[in-house]
Amino acid sequence: MIDGLLILLFFQFLGEVVVRLTGLPLPAPVLGMVLLLVALLLNAPFTQRVATAAGTLIKHISLLIFPLGVGIVLQWDRYQENALALAVAVVGGTIVSLILVTLMLKFLMGNKHQEQGDQHER
Amino acid sequence: MSAEMGSLAGLVHTPLFGILLTLASYQFALWVYGKSNSLPLFHPFLVASIPVIVVLPLVGVDYEEYREQTSLIAFLLGPATVALAWPLYRQLHTVRSVLTPIVIATLIGAAIAAGISVGLAWWLGAPQDVIASLAPKSITTPIAVEVVKSTGGSESLVAGAVAITGIVGALAAGPVFRLLKVNDDRIRGFALGLVAHAIGTARAFEFGEKAGAFSGLALGLCGLVTALALPWIWPWIAALLS
Repeated sequence: MIDGLLILLFFQFLGEVVVRLTGLPLPAPVLGMVLLLVALLLNAPFTQRVATAAGTLIKHISLLIFPLGVGIVLQWDRYQENALALAVAVVGGTIVSLILVTLMLKFLMGNKHQEQGDQHER
Repeated sequence: MSAEMGSLAGLVHTPLFGILLTLASYQFALWVYGKSNSLPLFHPFLVASIPVIVVLPLVGVDYEEYREQTSLIAFLLGPATVALAWPLYRQLHTVRSVLTPIVIATLIGAAIAAGISVGLAWWLGAPQDVIASLAPKSITTPIAVEVVKSTGGSESLVAGAVAITGIVGALAAGPVFRLLKVNDDRIRGFALGLVAHAIGTARAFEFGEKAGAFSGLALGLCGLVTALALPWIWPWIAALLS
């Protein structure tokens, strides 16, 4: 657990260092995630030991997030004038996106998978 | 006597109170979620919010103070974002052979999911900071919160928008897949992970192990693509909308 947390914080720190050195407009933890992914793919030593800490943090992600979400209700006066736009964009937008993405995948993945299969047979 | 009562009342203004309230609410929400057989409508995000929303005004702690009390919990969002590399790494191994169509699907899908909500919010006249908070609503929350920090949206709004997106996506998945006659678990999983992130992934596992794996992969890739692209593209979109 602690070794995993150490690795995660180390890569977050690394992300922070790169962002500050290069001025990239990216969130440092996202860059840390990319760097950790690359390290894992390259079989860097120790990196597999993130498993427990990573699994625990991801499993309880709701705990880390809902304290942010309560702000919508507790500071409702900030958001109420955009309530309709928010509701339509979030609820309607999600359903429309799901339909479009599913159609796109039906088109794209069905065909491409066939090609992949052919390549294996060759 | 009154001094003692005063110091007791002061307890609600300590981090201990905020964190205790947060953890207790979350534990309660986990119990409810388990009792409901993991119904998306009873997702811990929604249920855990209720006790906090009720208790804070009662004891006279405002939202800003609560955020400060629970900054220890908020801090963990950073390492939690980095942690997403682990499931992504595991999923990449299982689908290496079909990686190209999956990456193409992710690029188009991420653009659709973000574009639709941005377009709708803009059409309904939402101001720019609200639109900025909706753009990353289909990606997993820790990444979305980090992205919003660089596009100038509201962290509260993005957290809520992401959670509700996940819940709506998970609830709509059954009817949508029936309507479009989708029987392929890879497509079901990938669509759910792309549009409805972690909550969609939990739903995808109900279709089967394969759907769950594809959903987890889509969640990771979509989050990655959006996080890498949005901070660069956003200034142009913002200029276009204003």
